[in-house]
Amino acid sequence: MAVAARALTLPAVVEELLSEMAEAARDGAPIPDEHLLSLKFVFGSSAVQALDLVDRQSITLLSSPSGRRVYQVLGSSGRTYVCLASCHYCSCPAFAFSVLRKSDSLLCKHLLAVYLSQVMRTCQQLSVSDKQLTDVLLMEKTQEAS
Amino acid sequence: MAETLRRVLNWGSAAGPGEENTFEAESPLLLLGGPGSGKTALLFAAALETAGEGRGPVLFLTRRPLQSLPRVTGAALEPLRLQKIRFQYPPSTRELLRLLCSAHETRGPAPSLLLLDGLEEYLAEDPGSQEAAYLAALLLDTAAHFSHRVGSGRGCGLIVALQTQEEGDSGTALQLALLQRYFPAQCWLQPDAPGPGQHCLRACLEPGGLGPRAEWQVTFRQNGEMTVTPWPTQAGDTSLNKGSSSGGQP
Repeated sequence: MAVAARALTLPAVVEELLSEMAEAARDGAPIPDEHLLSLKFVFGSSAVQALDLVDRQSITLLSSPSGRRVYQVLGSSGRTYVCLASCHYCSCPAFAFSVLRKSDSLLCKHLLAVYLSQVMRTCQQLSVSDKQLTDVLLMEKTQEAS
Repeated sequence: MAETLRRVLNWGSAAGPGEENTFEAESPLLLLGGPGSGKTALLFAAALETAGEGRGPVLFLTRRPLQSLPRVTGAALEPLRLQKIRFQYPPSTRELLRLLCSAHETRGPAPSLLLLDGLEEYLAEDPGSQEAAYLAALLLDTAAHFSHRVGSGRGCGLIVALQTQEEGDSGTALQLALLQRYFPAQCWLQPDAPGPGQHCLRACLEPGGLGPRAEWQVTFRQNGEMTVTPWPTQAGDTSLNKGSSSGGQP
């Protein structure tokens, strides 16, 4: 059920592009230029910024013994944002404004970076305790409130 | 989650749920209706239905305890089913978030259904769009984690009830449009012409994606007893689309 949420919010063309990129990068080969151009075409400047985040290994997948997982992305400003692994959500202001409020973007650069890092398998992995994972999810909330 | 609700609503009809036993992944469902439109009774019926399936427990989140157990015809109020429904009463948005964020720390069998009644009360405390999105996304993430723990099979469903406001309030329309991103399946409860001594509603289920739309008449008698019958005429009814158009679907 909830696992399908990403597919429900991302258009099929994006899903297709991501899976083609995953196929191309499967043997550790670089992403073909044509895919990068398509990415730029669909996402504009966010594509370059997201690829930059991937290059700098700014994406970390936190997982706890419970099996729950969450992504943390270190933004270019030095702030860390939380992206949920199961559905389409990033805690950055651009996601709140451009994606949720105005609906003029599909994604923010952090979410795109998460999806690209999944495709390219360049995601950092970090094991944390169940309690630490709770704090990461909750801290996100208290940061917003302050 | 439309399938669970469809089974609940099909109790009154002779046709059993038989042919629709496709145990596939289901979209999270938003249950929408005005004050007193029977949302809690339907949520409770869904809890009873799932509790009778021989799977994990049902987690029922609501701000305050139910005043009385809704009287549901067709659902057996068996003690064994009731025991599988675990009520929790987060008193504030903060406590609700804490519960969802730490859901993976709880031990024991993972729930097969997650229910939240009165989402509007939690949203009213913190009306920003990002807060609403985070709450919706966390509900999905929590249900996804429960599904992961359940392992194979149907996983954990999610149904959230939201009280809709008078039309024309742009703030809540925006909030509803946002929630609909996270809850592709929706069930609308709308008032219908009441009979003597009873309160009638039309339930319209839009399961999201390509699933079929369906309608029922839900009647509450004065003693609180709920009965459900399939909506008599399906074709040529101009008011059929009222629910979706007033909802501001994207």
